[in-house]
Amino acid sequence: MSIPNPSIYETLVGLTHDFDIEPRLAESWEFVEPNTWRFTLRQGVLFHDGTPFTAEAVAWTLARVAAAGGRTMKIGDDSVAIIDDFTVEVTPAEQNVLLPLQLTSPRDGSIMAPGTLNPEVRIGTGPFKEVEYVAGERHVVEAFADYWGTKAGLAKLTFRYMPDPTTRMLALQAGDVDIVFDVPRESASLLTGADGRRLVTSAVGAYHSLSFNIHGQAPYDLGQDPVIREAVSISIDREAIINGGWQGFAATNNTMVPEGVLRDAVSLVTGPVYDPERAAQILDDAGWVVGSGGTRAKDGRPLRLTMIVGYPSAEIHRPMPELVQAQLSEVGIELELVQTPDVGSYSARLTSLEGDLWAELGNQVDADPCYLPGALFYSPIEGASAEDNSYANAFAPGAEFDAYIDSCGTAASIEDAQIAAASAMRLLIDEQHIVIPIAGVIRLYGVADRVQGFEPHPVQFVERWEHVTVTGD
Amino acid sequence: MGRYLLRRLLYLAPVWLGVSIIAFGLANLAPGDPARLMLQNQLGLQPTPEEVARARDELGLDDPIIVRYARWLGSALTGDLGTSYRNGESVLGGLVERFPRTLQIAVLSMVFTVVFALPLGVVSAVHRNSPLDHMTRVLALLGAAIPSYVVAYVLILVFAVKLHLLPVAGRGSWQHLILPSVTLALAAMASMMRLTRSEMLDVLGQDYVRTSRAKGLSDRAVYLRHAFRNALIPVVTIAGLRFAGLLGGAVIVEMIFAWPGIGMFMLDAIFARDYPVIQGFVIFMGTVFILVNLVIDISYAWLDPRIRYAGT
Repeated sequence: MSIPNPSIYETLVGLTHDFDIEPRLAESWEFVEPNTWRFTLRQGVLFHDGTPFTAEAVAWTLARVAAAGGRTMKIGDDSVAIIDDFTVEVTPAEQNVLLPLQLTSPRDGSIMAPGTLNPEVRIGTGPFKEVEYVAGERHVVEAFADYWGTKAGLAKLTFRYMPDPTTRMLALQAGDVDIVFDVPRESASLLTGADGRRLVTSAVGAYHSLSFNIHGQAPYDLGQDPVIREAVSISIDREAIINGGWQGFAATNNTMVPEGVLRDAVSLVTGPVYDPERAAQILDDAGWVVGSGGTRAKDGRPLRLTMIVGYPSAEIHRPMPELVQAQLSEVGIELELVQTPDVGSYSARLTSLEGDLWAELGNQVDADPCYLPGALFYSPIEGASAEDNSYANAFAPGAEFDAYIDSCGTAASIEDAQIAAASAMRLLIDEQHIVIPIAGVIRLYGVADRVQGFEPHPVQFVERWEHVTVTGD
Repeated sequence: MGRYLLRRLLYLAPVWLGVSIIAFGLANLAPGDPARLMLQNQLGLQPTPEEVARARDELGLDDPIIVRYARWLGSALTGDLGTSYRNGESVLGGLVERFPRTLQIAVLSMVFTVVFALPLGVVSAVHRNSPLDHMTRVLALLGAAIPSYVVAYVLILVFAVKLHLLPVAGRGSWQHLILPSVTLALAAMASMMRLTRSEMLDVLGQDYVRTSRAKGLSDRAVYLRHAFRNALIPVVTIAGLRFAGLLGGAVIVEMIFAWPGIGMFMLDAIFARDYPVIQGFVIFMGTVFILVNLVIDISYAWLDPRIRYAGT
């Protein structure tokens, strides 16, 4: 199975468009000292097969998380206690004030009917129930008449798989489909002012960033030099990339974690400020002298970096790599671009640390402010393989950063956890220049004018469809 | 003929073995851990080391490559090509499900190709240097020069977006077959038309054609009964190989038209390092190529009775 479809499955705690949390299958929750979360479940909820939703389903769902090692929720084998049919207590193996935020994740938090993992028909409690799933072709769902909340506005909803973005655009233009996902940014202008269809955008829920390999061996060891990292970070004109390269269909951001997740703590991170003159000056001061070909060199070694582009695909980053290449050349830094054909090749290259700068697009999938920085930049796990530690081996700054992440789970409040996450990002971005946030990713959708009520969630994985209607049907 | 066929079929065994070794080796040499990629696909996030270790153990990926190859070969010999790492689907079942879809557009595209390219090639040769000849040669050049993805988008724009005659993409009705098949056919037509023309010109200059004319045979009889049939031998070879290639999946066309054929099946498997699917696909397509070549060889005897096979 892949990430559960949020039309079919629901979580205990919902994630709003503003990254707030709201009651979903849990009506309320409270923290019980020293380390227990008590959830009061919604009554009168039915699974699509007619069986009632009770605490047993929560225990079964969280047992799967425990079996997978507990993940960031830190769920252990004995963490869940059923108090009665509609009351569950969850005691993580370690203190975890972020549990309700993490339960918004559809990956681990989707409540399934007990014993129905990988069934022929997916059975959840959501506003739509599954009718047909054909891998690589379509997923058909229909309104669930006994849904506990707002009933779906559409009788039937078909998700079709069209891997080619141009085909998706043409299908919308032809009227074959009503909504297309992931409109290419270079095609977005075709939808502004178009007859019968429009461009709809989400808030920022993902990021484009560059990360420096700070632990590489020659020839990929230049990222160990903080002067070079700082020079690169302030040589990149992010506004030019967003407005010129992506025609404004991205947003300025100073961290990898969306502002909505970090809240007020986002102000702790200022982000790199474009200043090529200063970049040239600090490189001059460090002995990197411009040579006859325009590339700087020091002790006979040219200032030549390699950027690896390929996560989750090379296409998704265009034309950012070429623009960065041109901007760096202005200050005498030569940048070689390497595009990997797929994620497997990218991961293998990262494991062998063959590259200086790594371009990635990543998603926020829940309201946990500490998940992304912790997953990508925490120090290597002792005894784990090179592949398991690939991100840490390349990017991890060390003990100070780890301390911020460690403090997330034991924070006194969610606000304190947000401050800890922002502090970790400040260390990465402002102080050590390991990460260069390029832009916040705005999801672009092409929508037929006859579709109403579609307000895309910044996190695509939790998109819900019950409010969508189609006129003329 | 019977012994010839039997011998050719027996050749399948060593070819299968060779193909299986290459397929297994290439798949396993590709960078990327299939267990990790499988979990990333399932979870949407980085898996934990424990999850990766458990998945590698379950998939048997920690065994030496020779052991894995022997285990896989043993199963394959009994017709079991294993199950997909990604979704647990039977590889053979997946191939059997998707192959007919690709076969549909491949056959239809070959029908379009033969119906249009061969007559145009013959007419072009017979009326050499005529306006019709010039026109067909220009069309052939254009057909060869324009990439199939451009052709696909133009066809979609005209027939689906502007005229609303056909669906843009997907599968479900006979109308869905038309645009991908025509896209594939247009690329094939160019080369087939040029080849037919040049072979016809070559044959029309042969002594036996002049003799036929001297005997007073009509142009129609000379062109169709004598010249065309002899010109067909290399054309059939190229057409057969192209057809076999199409059966391997026209990946670009399948992707543009969201056609869930064997090409997309293989592409997804490569991206996911789904070794069982990659290996099963290569074995399957190796067999298809061998069988198509066999059919081509047999067709030679029908086209030219002078061609006989050892052992017949």
